Amino acid sequence: MASTVIGAGITIEGEITSDEDVAVAGTLRGKLIAKDAVSVEHGGIVEADVTGGPVTVAGSVTGNITSSDRVDLQNGAKVVGNVRATRITIADGAQFKGNVDMDV
Amino acid sequence: MADTSVIGRASFVRARVTGDGDLEIAGRVEGEISVSGEVVIEATGLVAANVQARRIVVRGAVKGDLVATELVLLEATARVVGDLRAPRIAIVQGGLVRGQVTTAGGTAARPRAAATAATRTPAVSSSAAPTKAREEQRPRAAAPTAPPVTKPSAAKPAPAPAKAESKANGRPAAPAPSAQRGATIAGARPGPPPPVVPVLKKGTKAVQKKR
Repeated sequence: MASTVIGAGITIEGEITSDEDVAVAGTLRGKLIAKDAVSVEHGGIVEADVTGGPVTVAGSVTGNITSSDRVDLQNGAKVVGNVRATRITIADGAQFKGNVDMDV
Repeated sequence: MADTSVIGRASFVRARVTGDGDLEIAGRVEGEISVSGEVVIEATGLVAANVQARRIVVRGAVKGDLVATELVLLEATARVVGDLRAPRIAIVQGGLVRGQVTTAGGTAARPRAAATAATRTPAVSSSAAPTKAREEQRPRAAAPTAPPVTKPSAAKPAPAPAKAESKANGRPAAPAPSAQRGATIAGARPGPPPPVVPVLKKGTKAVQKKR
């Protein structure tokens, strides 16, 4: 379980900065910066730029995703925004609109 | 997991946190917290926000008002600067508070002037499971013990305690502290001999500059 969890009923309007992993099952508007893994759970809504280590998306993200590691868009994910990462996977059933920028 | 949200100890949230469910804070939060469930501020938690919830349990540090519809509980490690308002308020021995404490309904609050004497003393001690009546008694019980602490210091630099007192009594003062304040000022006036006057002036200047 992630060290910082935004539960399903919770809405956060502002900025989250974390040195540990973050899981979002609720709603986040603003900005999310984590040093470790970021997970947007199924049902989670993120309207923010996301910066982190490995980023896993099963919910909805509107905003740019920047990862120092990998980005996984899982089945059911909905992402509108640019993704910048060293590795990226887009699962069957994931919706994605935006640019992909990988260090080649 | 769905209902309990956690702000980890290495996390910093500058935001408005609202919604349903419980909240556990072990990191830092600045902004505003308003949730329907229980808010627990752990010993490592640092909160600069007004907190509104059904139940609030504090083991860490809070700067802001705590308003609960059911209960505010300050554990032994709690440090709070701000007002407390809830139908039931408990402060465990060792818990620190500076602010107005009102045990009244979350919505239908008593008028402020009629509220119980605020806890001006840095440490309000009470044993386990303090009742409402006990909470109200404590500040009054603490008042007579306070003057011996303030008087010796009042004999030397008169303005300092007066300043501290006036700062602490930022709000309409409850009867006990105001009486005590008057007593210390009155007691200080005949006390200091003439050489003290420059010191007194310095003190008052400093107070004016600060304001």
